[in-house]
Amino acid sequence: MKHTIYPRLAWTGIRKNGRLYLPYILTCIGMVVMFYIVSFLSASDYIGSCKGGDQMQLVLQFGCGVIGFFSALFLFYTNSFLMRRRKKEFGLYNILGMGKWNIARVLLWETAMIAGISLLSGLALGVLLSKVAELCMVNILQADAMFFISVDAAGILHTAVLFSIIFLLILANALRQLHFANPIELLHSENTGERPPKANWLFAVVGVALLGGAYYLAVTLENPIEVMMLFFVAVIMVIAATYLLFMAGSVAICKVLQRNKKYYYRTNHFVSVSSMVYRMKRNGAGLASICILCTMVLVMVSSTVCLYVGKEEGMRTRYPRDINFYARADQFSAFSSVKAKGLREIFSQVLKERGQTKKNFMDYRRGETSAVEKDGIFWTEDPGVYGSDIGKLWQVYLVPLEDYNSIMGENEELSGREVLLYTTKRNYEKEEISISNHAPFTVKKTVDFVDDGESAMIVVPSIFLFVADFDAVAEEFSGLVNYAGNRAFSLKWVYAFDLSLEDEGQVEIMDEIWARVKQYNESDVEASVFNSMQIEGAAKERSGFYALYGGLFFLGILLGIVFVFAAVLIMYYKQVSEGYEDQSRFEIMQKVGMTKHEIKKSVNSQVITVFFLPLLAAGTHLAFAFPMIKKCLVLFGLLNGKLLAVVTLICFCIFALLYVAAYRITSHSYYAIVSGMEGKARG
Amino acid sequence: MSILEAQNVKKIYTARFGGNKVEALKNVSFTVEEGEYVAVMGESGSGKTTLLNILAALDKPTAGRVLLDGQDIGAIKESAVAAFRRNNLGFVFQDFNLLDTFSLEDNIYLPLVLMGRRYDEMHNRLMPIADRLGISDLLKKYPYEVSGGQKQRAAVARTLITRPKLVLADEPTGALDSKSTDELLDIFGDVNRMGQTIVMVTHSVKAASRAGRVMFIRDGEVFHQIYRGNSTNEELYQKISDTLTLLANRKTSAAIG
Repeated sequence: MKHTIYPRLAWTGIRKNGRLYLPYILTCIGMVVMFYIVSFLSASDYIGSCKGGDQMQLVLQFGCGVIGFFSALFLFYTNSFLMRRRKKEFGLYNILGMGKWNIARVLLWETAMIAGISLLSGLALGVLLSKVAELCMVNILQADAMFFISVDAAGILHTAVLFSIIFLLILANALRQLHFANPIELLHSENTGERPPKANWLFAVVGVALLGGAYYLAVTLENPIEVMMLFFVAVIMVIAATYLLFMAGSVAICKVLQRNKKYYYRTNHFVSVSSMVYRMKRNGAGLASICILCTMVLVMVSSTVCLYVGKEEGMRTRYPRDINFYARADQFSAFSSVKAKGLREIFSQVLKERGQTKKNFMDYRRGETSAVEKDGIFWTEDPGVYGSDIGKLWQVYLVPLEDYNSIMGENEELSGREVLLYTTKRNYEKEEISISNHAPFTVKKTVDFVDDGESAMIVVPSIFLFVADFDAVAEEFSGLVNYAGNRAFSLKWVYAFDLSLEDEGQVEIMDEIWARVKQYNESDVEASVFNSMQIEGAAKERSGFYALYGGLFFLGILLGIVFVFAAVLIMYYKQVSEGYEDQSRFEIMQKVGMTKHEIKKSVNSQVITVFFLPLLAAGTHLAFAFPMIKKCLVLFGLLNGKLLAVVTLICFCIFALLYVAAYRITSHSYYAIVSGMEGKARG
Repeated sequence: MSILEAQNVKKIYTARFGGNKVEALKNVSFTVEEGEYVAVMGESGSGKTTLLNILAALDKPTAGRVLLDGQDIGAIKESAVAAFRRNNLGFVFQDFNLLDTFSLEDNIYLPLVLMGRRYDEMHNRLMPIADRLGISDLLKKYPYEVSGGQKQRAAVARTLITRPKLVLADEPTGALDSKSTDELLDIFGDVNRMGQTIVMVTHSVKAASRAGRVMFIRDGEVFHQIYRGNSTNEELYQKISDTLTLLANRKTSAAIG
């Protein structure tokens, strides 16, 4: 045998099976492009030099790993479809006298060709598109664009090495399958007889129960801590339930329909229902995977988009004002000390020198403790985090009513142990509140208050009590202790305001204030009055914040594209292999007297069901996951549920459109395959 | 009264490339009376498959007409052909053509379901047929669970349940062993005696010898016909064998000459 025959056989093999190989090669190229772009961006010096670029590159490096791992999984999976189709051809070669070694050489050439095409065109496309991606990144980081194309040699090397390894593994797997198969098996590998599927009621019922449980959890969980802890439990329950329901539940439903003779023996239902049983048995697992991929895409894209769109709001929850100054004290007297007065003077002085005035000014005092709530009593002594009652842990703040009135511009009055109430992250609905063994407060009404950086940062919900006689209350609670017997009550002074200045000017003012505060502190004026001081500025943190959320956004979109790719391709291969299996069935149906129109109608209803079931299920999952996602995003400082709802809905609509487009392409190939047989039947 | 009438049927195939024309049927004319059992024999390439496709309304003749119960089946609109076949013709195939996704019972119901019949009616029609064909106990089974002979009986039941004017059988015994062949031919005989018109295309002399008339096709024409008359199956078998020998010899001498 001349040596050129192997590459020739490999090449004709690829060309003749273009319907199968083209999407596979396109996927390989797509994966190479994605991987190169992400690794290019994560290593780009220019991005790294932008403000916040380093944060973003950390996120991207993580994304690089995810895409690499997913590429391997995904290419393996799609390749298995190809192998199933090619086996017959190899069986024929084998019977015609080619040894397994010869076939292995054909396979080797084939893999080499596909790897060569995908790597070359993938890297070329990647280099071109990396510039576009870089511009997007630069835009997200709000830095100046740089207009020349750079090539990342290390990125190219990494990509080439990773994908060479993946292709080698795929080849090894194909050779393994070839080695263990005999020619007869190879020839007939496609049409082995199938028993009618039996409905597995137990699995179906367990699936329903798991799904119901997960949905119940998602809808009823109130507390962000519990949401955090149970989120992954719910995710695993939903995944298990999806597999069970698609695999066992769908068959069970078809069986129930078949038992209803009046329904089953109808022109429109007869063929569809009976074929669906087989389809679902063959495709249940695949469809469940698609459904989960879709749900992942939707959750990931909508939450990252939402974070990105709401980035300013998220940052504002964390840094409520442009300049935020905090000082912690043990004694109530600190608030009226010489030092406090001195600090106030520094703030005014700096602003005056810079010609600035305070806006949205807030200046308030508060007492803080953390406690476990049981029946309206907040116990500071309870081990809380270390005990089993983590879900009942609260951060408790006591704020003077006069400070509340001056910040909010209200004129509330309270008598005796009446309080006003404000909570974050969850609601408190009881009429009375006690702290440890102290006499209870009665809630006069629930009010609104300003955001606070500290309570935005932590997972536990916060409760603010506005009290009339702060002096006395602070005195009363100064003896609170925690489970270890340590003092559990501290005082804090919050002094914060906005400026009408560009970010650079704000940073300068903040640095100036901080420098003077430190100097003043070292000059030893009542040194121990405030035991710690802290200043935070929105302007200084903004670029880091935007970079983090922007990085997540960018990654969310990229991974979203990759997963959509995956879902569409799996769908495509499913339909194509179904098409080959259905050819003979349609021939028979035509012989028995079904018109082409009837066949097409029945096929259509089946294809649509198979295709859109995952999307429908993903939509339902998403709807039920919504409350959970909302509470998780609260931890990122995003309190705007309406924004999330709108973004999620838009994401779903765009996704559904993509899905319909994929359906059109896929079903077209399916009909082409199925009707391709008709010509043969007549000849 | 003749139920099927072929008048000067001609079929020319044109190759897709190059325009080579192949004359599959030159000029075929014959009639089939109601209640007749006709076997069509011929070698590969004689045109019998083409003829069967035309009778089955799967293909249209280039010239000539085929009348079924007085209706020209070549003139039926494309959209109505499937319904016409469903309502008037029954088919039995060599490879059974049962759907593996259906139980035998559902396979038999398929044409009736397509006609929109009610379950009770279908069930009532099936019971006597299943009894007669000896498949009553097999109805809940799936094609892969039963033998070839049983599959073919289910296929016959699927054909009979629509009460067709004409049953077209294409090598119905081709995939069966000799015992199953005998059983099937007995069934065909029974069905024919009850008034069912059958046209069967076959290679098998044994199968043909059970028919009322045997029609030989050669080179796209009806070459010869044998009527059973009062002959027994064995006598008819002998006559058919002789005719086939004659056909083969002629061909050889033609080739030599």
